[in-house]
Amino acid sequence: MGGSLLKPVILIGIVYAILKFVVPNIPGSAPLPASLIFLYLMLTTSGIVIFATLSGESKDAFWNPIQRFLTGENIGGLQVLRYGVLLLFPLMVGWQTYSSTATSDAPPSENRTIHPAPPGEYTGLSNPVPKTPDTIQQGKGFYAAFCSPCHGGNFDGKGPAARGFNPPPANFSDPTTIAMLQESYLFWRIKKGGVGLPIEGMPWKSAMPRWEVELPDEWIWKIIMGEYDGAHQAPRTWE
Amino acid sequence: MTQRLNYIVPTVAVGAWLAMGLLAVQPGSAEEKSAATVQAESTLQSVSVSAPMVKGALPVDDPNAAVWSSATLARFPMSPQVHWPNRILEATVRDLNVRALHDGTNVAILLEYTDPTEDPDDAAAIQFMVGDKKAHFAHGQPMAQVEGGPVNIWFWKNKDGKALDMNAKGFGTLKVQTHQDVKAKGAYANGTWKVVFTRPLSTEHADEDTQIAQGGFVNIAFAVWDGKKDASGELKEKGSQKAVSSWWYFRAEAPPDYSGYYYALLAVGLALGFQFVLIRKLKKGQSA
Repeated sequence: MGGSLLKPVILIGIVYAILKFVVPNIPGSAPLPASLIFLYLMLTTSGIVIFATLSGESKDAFWNPIQRFLTGENIGGLQVLRYGVLLLFPLMVGWQTYSSTATSDAPPSENRTIHPAPPGEYTGLSNPVPKTPDTIQQGKGFYAAFCSPCHGGNFDGKGPAARGFNPPPANFSDPTTIAMLQESYLFWRIKKGGVGLPIEGMPWKSAMPRWEVELPDEWIWKIIMGEYDGAHQAPRTWE
Repeated sequence: MTQRLNYIVPTVAVGAWLAMGLLAVQPGSAEEKSAATVQAESTLQSVSVSAPMVKGALPVDDPNAAVWSSATLARFPMSPQVHWPNRILEATVRDLNVRALHDGTNVAILLEYTDPTEDPDDAAAIQFMVGDKKAHFAHGQPMAQVEGGPVNIWFWKNKDGKALDMNAKGFGTLKVQTHQDVKAKGAYANGTWKVVFTRPLSTEHADEDTQIAQGGFVNIAFAVWDGKKDASGELKEKGSQKAVSSWWYFRAEAPPDYSGYYYALLAVGLALGFQFVLIRKLKKGQSA
């Protein structure tokens, strides 16, 4: 009779081990949140229950040991374990209730989108400034004057003025910033600044200046070239 | 063999069941951690100021009162104001320590920072959002795609020896309110400024003053000016040339709430009752 219960338990154990230890190690994957693992285990469990209760015979083999354990008849040394379970279950329910009703000390969580979609007029623009060593050098000069205080002389987002700002200034040498964006996206972000962001970008928190009021477009395009060159990145293209 | 299985199987089953129970509990506690909290832990800086409730008088005139130590210290990095002209690229104050207390009626906020010289034009300010609309941290300047609200600014200057209660909604709109609810007191010693701002938690002007409900979070930001004069007699920092912080959170702690314990007790009782009924039913079924 033990087999009909042992197998499901082993199965659940295997599923858990796969979700917890194997899935995160698949290339391109990430650790699963506990709530998702729990959901998968619940699905597995309900599948097992459905399978085990298909026939009257398998149903008995499945439920009888559980029933006997709960009622505590003829279980010998397991009696202690049974009392433990009967005590732990209500305590767990109490703990869960407490932690879900207790007021949180954490400030509201913020899910800020770092690279929200640009307005339509800023998609697909190409840099009108010819890319020459000269223009790139000019762009780097503008970058040093206007951008490096926050974004850093090394293009790493660690300029001397960056420390107080949250969100922190972008690190251009990080492959997840300008390397995955098009030049026209940077043009929008530099021109319109933090206050130009849509609501999911939380514009009220950004210290990025609205450079359109201080710099001509041509300088912005040159800054973009200098930025990519200095950070050793290339703009994203659709080819 | 069967006897041993009888022992092993339920043991394993109970173990697996408990593990699943733990998994069920875990998400509630583990995933509450916001991105902001995680960031705070990694860089050892605060994300919020929490003002505990004190019995007795608030130390509104005494930045050195012992009771301040009952408030948790919050520490925020400061940047030179580079967001809009006239900007500066280096500011004197790089870190700001903040503590706060409330007594159910008034709130007192203590700013503490290092400044090598005491000058008449040394100044500090606290900024809040007003109402439900988000306001940009730079004086609530207009945002292109989001309708912003005003900011409420509490400003203190050494030579004035008092606070100004102000509003702004964009650059050049800074205006002193007709009703002044904020008091401030500064004390300078050993190269450190300590400035206490005090105001009632709530006022009658909800469209101009930030309203602080106990237990709720409001947005807060800070600014500090080093009023030292350079060789030519010009102020080192003035107007938009100052040290600024980003938006962080402020909360006046609510009185202790024990309802969570009552709900937990009730849940334990219900679970026990469920077990009792279930086992009785099973036993009846077996004997039948």
